[in-house]
Amino acid sequence: MTDRPALRVTDVVKSFGSTTVLKGVSLELEPGSIHGLLGQNGAGKSTLVKIMTGVHGAGSFTGVVQVDGSTVQLTRPQDARQLGIGYVPQEIDVVEHLTVTENVLVGDLGSGLRFDRRAADRRCRTLLDQLGMTIAPRTRVSVLSAAQRQLLMIARALALTPKVLILDEPTTSLTDTEAVALGHILRRLAATGLGILYITHRVREVLDLCDGATVLRDGRVVEQLSRSDLTADRIVTAMAGRQVRDLFPGRRYPGGRTALSVRNLGVRPARGSSARVEDVSFDVHQGEILGIAGLLGAGRSELLAGVFGAVPRTGTVTVGGREVRPGHPRHARSAGIGMLTEERKRTGLLFNMSALRNITIGSLGSVSHRGFLDFAGERRVGRRVIGDLEVKTPGIHSSVEHLSGGNQQKLLIGRTLLPEPSVILLDEPTKGVDVGTRAQIYRLVNTLAERGAALVVVSSELDELLGMCDRFLVLAAGRLVDEFTKGDGSEQRILASIARVTPADEAITT
Amino acid sequence: MSTARSRGRGTRHRVLRVLAAGEAGVILALVILCVTFQLIQPAFGSAADVRAILSALSYLGIISVGQIILLIGGEFDLSVGSTAGLSAIVAADLMAHHDIPVAVAVLGGLLVGALIGLVNGVVVVRLRIPAFIATLGMLFVAQGATQVITDGQPIYPLPQVVSDIGQATPLFGLGWSFAFFVVVAILGDLFLRVTVPGRTMYAVGGNPVVARLSGVRVERYKIGAFVLSGTLAAAGGLFLMGNLGSGTTSIGQGWELLVIAGVVVGGVSLFGGVGSVVGGAVGMLLLQVVQSGLVVVGISPNWQTIAVGSIMVLAVGLDVWRRRLPDTEPTEQPTATAAASAPAPEAADRAATGET
Repeated sequence: MTDRPALRVTDVVKSFGSTTVLKGVSLELEPGSIHGLLGQNGAGKSTLVKIMTGVHGAGSFTGVVQVDGSTVQLTRPQDARQLGIGYVPQEIDVVEHLTVTENVLVGDLGSGLRFDRRAADRRCRTLLDQLGMTIAPRTRVSVLSAAQRQLLMIARALALTPKVLILDEPTTSLTDTEAVALGHILRRLAATGLGILYITHRVREVLDLCDGATVLRDGRVVEQLSRSDLTADRIVTAMAGRQVRDLFPGRRYPGGRTALSVRNLGVRPARGSSARVEDVSFDVHQGEILGIAGLLGAGRSELLAGVFGAVPRTGTVTVGGREVRPGHPRHARSAGIGMLTEERKRTGLLFNMSALRNITIGSLGSVSHRGFLDFAGERRVGRRVIGDLEVKTPGIHSSVEHLSGGNQQKLLIGRTLLPEPSVILLDEPTKGVDVGTRAQIYRLVNTLAERGAALVVVSSELDELLGMCDRFLVLAAGRLVDEFTKGDGSEQRILASIARVTPADEAITT
Repeated sequence: MSTARSRGRGTRHRVLRVLAAGEAGVILALVILCVTFQLIQPAFGSAADVRAILSALSYLGIISVGQIILLIGGEFDLSVGSTAGLSAIVAADLMAHHDIPVAVAVLGGLLVGALIGLVNGVVVVRLRIPAFIATLGMLFVAQGATQVITDGQPIYPLPQVVSDIGQATPLFGLGWSFAFFVVVAILGDLFLRVTVPGRTMYAVGGNPVVARLSGVRVERYKIGAFVLSGTLAAAGGLFLMGNLGSGTTSIGQGWELLVIAGVVVGGVSLFGGVGSVVGGAVGMLLLQVVQSGLVVVGISPNWQTIAVGSIMVLAVGLDVWRRRLPDTEPTEQPTATAAASAPAPEAADRAATGET
């Protein structure tokens, strides 16, 4: 039976426009095994999964997908589900006010008008038992923890009795102890003959859990490792690969006075999230670019939001020797801190306003006299920003909705820089931004540092972070786990210092 | 594919856009309506008619200005009608039963409006109770308070000076209420258009999170808009009281929905951040014209509310439709933009799946 893999893809090539995202990827998943799929952001993991789950339908790519030894055409997600490919997305997608049963059996609550609640509860009970869950099927999902919700998502996938289970970063919202527990459950499921594809970028989990692993980089398989070959070293090296240094302007940080000083910063996790910051202290100097590395959920964005006063914080933030009041971003802004947030659509753009007004909204004081707007002055400022940052927009009065991601980002950078902050916080400044704009953003960051600004940059892309920054902080589970200056470390060091935070350590601290 | 077809579509889009665009659209609709009524019944548009329409408009119009600013700030107020009624009753009670000077009693009425607005604002902003619920509750509370004070009986007579002012016609046969409406509407429009706090109000209504990150004290803006809405509601109620010469418990009844319907017709969004006082006021006028026009052309007044309801839904429908149209404005460098964003699909995928 082992010569009939549960799922096999061969020579998959997938392009979007002129960009080839997958360049001949092949992968095999044996029944009864857990196989890790690793790669940095943009390596092609998501695209590959979308092909396996029918989101990118047959015909939109070349290559072969086989389930249980026979070639299949997946044109829609339903096809994949019917053929036994279960998928658990990264985001936990539950309806809080419904019961466990209703959430698990969603879309499959039986046919006909009558909903047999008892039969459904019994079915749900069996699924929960498979996962070792003891909660009652009638429990409202709103009272469940993040870990229980994650298991519920898995139960939902198991409801279709799949042969293959694809898990996309299942531990993102779990604590490390919960992640270990999830690992045990997955092992038990695999023992029943299920093939599990486990997508992650946490090396530690792959070492603990997987029977083999495939590492993607730039749309190619760079390593296929069997259990005996699995070492942190090989995985990390394969993930990191050679560096794309060319994009980054060469620079040397000359050293400067302390611009921003953060002591014992603490930020509590927001509702429905586990990301927090605990007791983090650091300084940033004039002309310095500090990079914050860490996994998703390590507390990087929370760190920036805490410094900016966008979320409640403990500890002190000092700019130029003066303490900044917490509670509202306006205190940080008047102290000379500027921030670019990660989510353009949710916390950046004002879709009810023109490009021009989006730029000036944070600096209306400088384009007005005694409370009255100076329209000509505002247009001048807007044109200057749009010109300086090369924002491609049909006009200063056009909507921001139809601008490309890169242009939207430049617009928001323009807004952030307009008050001429001395401390600049950038959260994922190149997220969803094309390559040309990326290089432009790198140059801009460099120029700002040369002019004496202190910058703090968060990026999930280690290549980028290492290329751009002078010094690095590594966060794991909200704590500072490593700090080094450019030249003293590499991707390997960052990934290793994150991997070193073992579940045991974590269990003690939480 | 076919350029002719796409050009045709472009023209159609442009026409639709103008038709449906906030102020231009509603003004055009108003003109068409007036012309239509005039053609059907040449008596429509007589000086007396226009005066009747504008007088009727003025009370609701005053209230609509507050509602528009509040809506642009991302909240709304269902209690304006009851607030108008209670404020008028309180002022009437003070001057008729407590021998308080008229000016002070009127200030008392305004203060009631401001206080109701403040309570609405604090309940919505600090206690985080949705405006719909909070102000609906206030609608009942204020209505009840009116009944408690009056026991259902009109307060009458009021000092002579009240009717003297309330029934005076200083402007072409129009009352002080209309003059006040025009002044408030102009000030409100200028506030939103040319002042820093006015612009900020759009940001607050557009996305309060973004506004806060830009340094705006969002809560103050929202509470301030509620207070303004309450105060102007009181002013509207007081003017009607003056015109009637008595504190009647029916003042303001049903006004809240007429005001919201009118300003929505005028392009003010219920979701915040979009609209203008001019647009909203023209929307109010349009509804008034429809109501009067139907009577003038001889359609039973029973049909009025049907017309008001249909027009409101139609206006919002047009607005939604307009938003769905693709942006037809030409981009400066469409090809360059397309080429530059080509490597982004993987990133877009990531954004879509929430992976970072």
